[in-house]
Order: sequence, then C-alpha cells, then structure tokens
Amino acid sequence: MVREILRNLSKDFSVEFRTRFALNVSIAFAVTATVSVSLTAGGVPFPSLVQSILLWMIIFFSAMNGLSHIFVREEDQATALFLRITMSADSIFISKFIYNQSFMMIVLAVVTPLFLFFLQVKVILISYFVLTILSGGLSIAAGATILAAMVAKAGGKGSLFSILSFPLLLPVLWVSIFATKNSLDGARPADYNSLVFLLAFSGFISAISFLLFRFVWIED
Amino acid sequence: MTGVRYRIEARGLTQRFGRNVIFKNLNFALETGSSFCITGANGSGKSTLLKILAGIQAPSDGSVTYADISRGALIKECSSCIGYTGPLVNPYDDLTALENIYFASGRAEKSRIDSLLKCFHLTGHEDKKIRHYSSGMKQRLRIILADLNDPPILILDEPGTNLDESGRRILRSYLDSVSVEKAVILATNDRDEEKLCGRGIRLG
Repeated sequence: MVREILRNLSKDFSVEFRTRFALNVSIAFAVTATVSVSLTAGGVPFPSLVQSILLWMIIFFSAMNGLSHIFVREEDQATALFLRITMSADSIFISKFIYNQSFMMIVLAVVTPLFLFFLQVKVILISYFVLTILSGGLSIAAGATILAAMVAKAGGKGSLFSILSFPLLLPVLWVSIFATKNSLDGARPADYNSLVFLLAFSGFISAISFLLFRFVWIED
Repeated sequence: MTGVRYRIEARGLTQRFGRNVIFKNLNFALETGSSFCITGANGSGKSTLLKILAGIQAPSDGSVTYADISRGALIKECSSCIGYTGPLVNPYDDLTALENIYFASGRAEKSRIDSLLKCFHLTGHEDKKIRHYSSGMKQRLRIILADLNDPPILILDEPGTNLDESGRRILRSYLDSVSVEKAVILATNDRDEEKLCGRGIRLG
C-alpha cells in the first residue's frame, strides 16, 4: 500500500509540475486578489477582523481553484479507470489527501507572506498566527479532498466544488478568522480551543472521508 | 506465473440497465492455458461483461468467482491476478510511456518491461510523452500495461482497435503465445482474433 501511495503521489506531482495548471490558477488568483485589495485600501490599514476575513477568503478561494483539480483531472482526461484498476481505493485516497495537503501548504506559503506584505499587516502573536494558518489550511484541504472526488464523479467543475465546500468548511473559516484576529490583536487565548477545534475537525473529516471514499470512487 | 493455475467462473450473469436486459443468465468457466472470445454487435454488452469479469462493475444478478486451482482456494479479491484493458483505459498524456509503465507496475521487472516494449515495437519510443503517441501506439501501450504484472487472467476489450495490419499481426502472435499459460478473455469482432480463441459466446 505504501508503494502504491508513493507511486500515485509521484505521478500526481509529475503531472502537476509539467502542466502547472492548478498551481498557476491558484497563485494567479492569490496575487490578483491580494494586489487588488491592497490598491483598493490605498495604504489605509483595515481593522484586524477585516484583515482576517480578507486573508481567509483569499486563502479559501485560491485553494478551491486547485484542490478539486486532483480528481477532476482524472475524469476530464479519462484516466480514472486506469487509476482505478492500478491501485486500491484506500491508496488513491491517501495519496490524493497528501497531495492536497502539500498543495495547500504551497498556497499558504505564497498567499500569507504576500498578504502580510501588501496589506502591511502586523502580527503580534507570530507562533499562534502560524499555527492557526497551518491548522486552518489542514482542515480546508482535509474537507476538500472527498468533496473533490464527489464533484469529479458528478461530472462537475470548479464552481460546483466551491459551492459545495462553502457550507462544509464554514465552521473552519469562522474559527480560523477569529483565531487569526486574536493573533493580530495580541489577545493570547487561555486554552487554544480554536486550534484544538481545527485539528479535531481535520482528524474527524479525514477519518470519515477515508471510510466513505470507496463508495464515491467505485461505482457499481 | 509458471506453474500457477487459476480459474474464473461466471454463474448466472445478468445485466440490466433499467428495464432493458443486456444479457441474461450467462454461465461459463475458463482456466489458465485457454482463451475465450466474446463477440456481438455494438451495444450487445461485450464491454460490460468484461468489466464484470474484471471486477470493475457489479452484475445486476449472478456472480463471478476466481480460484487458485494449484492451491485449491477461492480468491475473494483478485485485482492483482487480473490484467484488464479497454478503450476507456487511458494512460496519462503528460507522462512518458516508461513513466506510465512504472506507475502501473507493482512488481514488474526491468527485463519484463524491456521484453514487452520490444515485443510491441515500442522500444525507442518509451521516453516520449503519450500525447505524442499515435492511437495505434497508445493501443499497444494499453496491452503492455494490462500484461505488465504478468497476471494469470488477461481480459482485453477490443485489443485490435486502432492497430494497423502489422500491429494486428503482433497482437495475434502475442495472444497466441500468452494463451498457453494464461486465461485470456477477448471481446472482439475481428475474425482472426476470434480464431485464436478455443471457445466463445456471442451476445445479442
């Protein structure tokens, strides 16, 4: 199983880095949105809550442009049957999950510094901010993986994916926005409940997705 | 694969799409060392039957069982003992033939990969991306991918599609040689490929 996961991961990274379709779309959206917001603000700093909301909206929609691609590409290029007969559904899910998490980390690594720079955001609790961004990103990618498989099987494209993802990931965005605001304000939380929620959400949604994936992937 | 004997058996296979019965109550069995041909008009259910035999699709009724005769044991999960290809099995266009082969090969050795590439006249083209392959070359690669891990049961849906006369000759000679030690199931309307099979059924 480990070999299958590694083979599929290697294939997905090779295909993505040759076409760079998902990465280009996500990065282009992130840069355009961040620069547009920065120009609109005209150097006037936003309140910390607005900064958090903008940051998470840009992260969410940048990621949505690419996270669905991992399964939609298999259906669009008619390679899903080849993939299906080559390895088990469990290996496919785990490799796609790891790929989406890696993709999300790349998006976060590009969007966050860009946003902090262009909007001149000052972070007071840096470690809390970084942990919030990482665990929020982890939760979004975890929830998005099974949704991407469902959207691909439904013959859907990006817009359907964003619409379906929004209600599922709203609690994640809500908690991430307020935790980010606290880190910008320097309001150190007493019990780190937000981070616990985000990590618990990731764990729960990943476990449920793993159990349900074969029913989405294998159509009888 | 040498010395291992497998048996695939279809019992009462029926497939319906809505109220439309595609085929009904099919019964047959096949062991390694023999070949079986499924013919029939377009839409008669050849591809569906092959997908059911390969375990890709469930039948409306009936069952398919696989057994390792040499050990006298039924096999519940037989994905590793079946090599399947069909018109909808597409390799990755952005990868080279060799990368697709390594992706599909769970346990294939370099010597086997080389001999299959040579047999299907793809030596020298293995580093080309699939998007630069002709449809005939892609079809030959599909057959290589199906037989890559040396499965005892080989299920091929229209294997001669897109092949020119020389490609068909290569395919026929290959099928002739592998059917000695494997169970080969073909869906075809090519008379020459049909002649290679010991037995068969006609659908529709």
